[in-house]
Amino acid sequence: MSKFLLACFVSLVITSANGQGFVGKLKQKASEAAEKALEKKAEDKTGVKTTSGTDSETQSESESSSNGSSTGRPTNKGGGGLVSTPPDVNQNLTDAETAFKAGSYGEARYAVQQAMLGVEMEIGQKVLKSLPEKVTALPMLPEEDQVTSTGYGWAGLTIVRVYRTDDKELKATIANNSSMMTAVNMYLANGGYSQQTGGQQNWKQTKVKGYKAIIEYDESSGYKLSVPLGQSSLIAWEGINYSSEQEMMTAANAFDIDGIKKMLGEQ
Amino acid sequence: MKKIFTFTFVLACFALSAQDFSKNLATAKSSYASGKLEDSRFAMQQMLTEIDLAIGREILKLLPAKLETMAANPKSDNVTANTGLAGSVIHRDYGTGEKISNIDIMSNSPLVASLNAILSLPFMANSGDGTQKIIKVDGYKGILQKSVDTETNKTDYTLQIPINATLLTLAVPNSTEADVIKMANSIPVSQIAKLVQ
Repeated sequence: MSKFLLACFVSLVITSANGQGFVGKLKQKASEAAEKALEKKAEDKTGVKTTSGTDSETQSESESSSNGSSTGRPTNKGGGGLVSTPPDVNQNLTDAETAFKAGSYGEARYAVQQAMLGVEMEIGQKVLKSLPEKVTALPMLPEEDQVTSTGYGWAGLTIVRVYRTDDKELKATIANNSSMMTAVNMYLANGGYSQQTGGQQNWKQTKVKGYKAIIEYDESSGYKLSVPLGQSSLIAWEGINYSSEQEMMTAANAFDIDGIKKMLGEQ
Repeated sequence: MKKIFTFTFVLACFALSAQDFSKNLATAKSSYASGKLEDSRFAMQQMLTEIDLAIGREILKLLPAKLETMAANPKSDNVTANTGLAGSVIHRDYGTGEKISNIDIMSNSPLVASLNAILSLPFMANSGDGTQKIIKVDGYKGILQKSVDTETNKTDYTLQIPINATLLTLAVPNSTEADVIKMANSIPVSQIAKLVQ
């Protein structure tokens, strides 16, 4: 009898322990479900995905492993970038006048620089518009058009246009007040440098639309043709996978060099 | 009488500069309006030069008339505006004969970056042999360099203070460190800094 009573007691204790475990599990499940429901509501309202518990750990682990860092910093997934607006020339000139009259020379200087930046960007856009849309059957890539200006006047204005189909490319760079000018003019002014006497001829003097020029060839980078314009400007073409010097010259001849020179104020 | 003459001369220079500035401003505006962008840009470059000259003249007014016992030589005062890589240079010298000193202020100086790098590394800035040390003038850190002429045994000092992109240099040949520091302290560096900003 006592044995039966003992067995009953033990089974009761086990059942109750199991019951407590069962209730605990139920509670845990219920709280997880409640959390998930709350998160879903929050996500619906804010539009931001949130994670918690084991899910978030798994996600952060996978993120850190995919980013290759373990700092836990979030990665930027987009933000629209910066708005590129050229400075208002007239407004900056007015600001410069006011600042100069008030003796705020630093302010006046800044305003004139901004105005110069604005004008240079406009000159650049004007030059880009005048360039051909197609050169030796290569179409232009307007998304790769570039106008770079420092607004200082001396570091110059650089305009870039790219033409490309598959692996054939022509890149036209127009530089105003460029330091590259010095080197090119030095070559052109010293006739003795112009031709190599032995070995392979990698560069030589030539003419494009009546302008003195230098054409270079490099096995890895292709052809490069540079034409100084007036006192301080330069137009250079870099041709990749051009079949011959002649083809490169034909490409350069498609450009209105006189027009570009005039736009840059060169004589 | 001399002072009146100098004042009138400075005033005349400023009036001339202001006139040129206004003339170039008008050219820049009209050229821009008529689409002559390159002409407008050239006029703006001229405006920048005139502003640099005006800044230079203002700085010269700020510089002390005397450095210790040495009086300024106003005739050699000079402002060169380049609107170029090296920027504008303002020069004033003091004294005569063996006791002389020079102040040069150069905007957009290519040396500024390396000097700032030295100033940010204390172990590099102060040399063990006492030929180079950091001092503060009017709140601005500068590098004081000493060089001894092996033949004459005279000690020359050069103090370089970077102010943003501008470099102020005080060169005093044949002097002592204490004198050079006294001279440096009479230069209104913070006021100059406001003008060159």
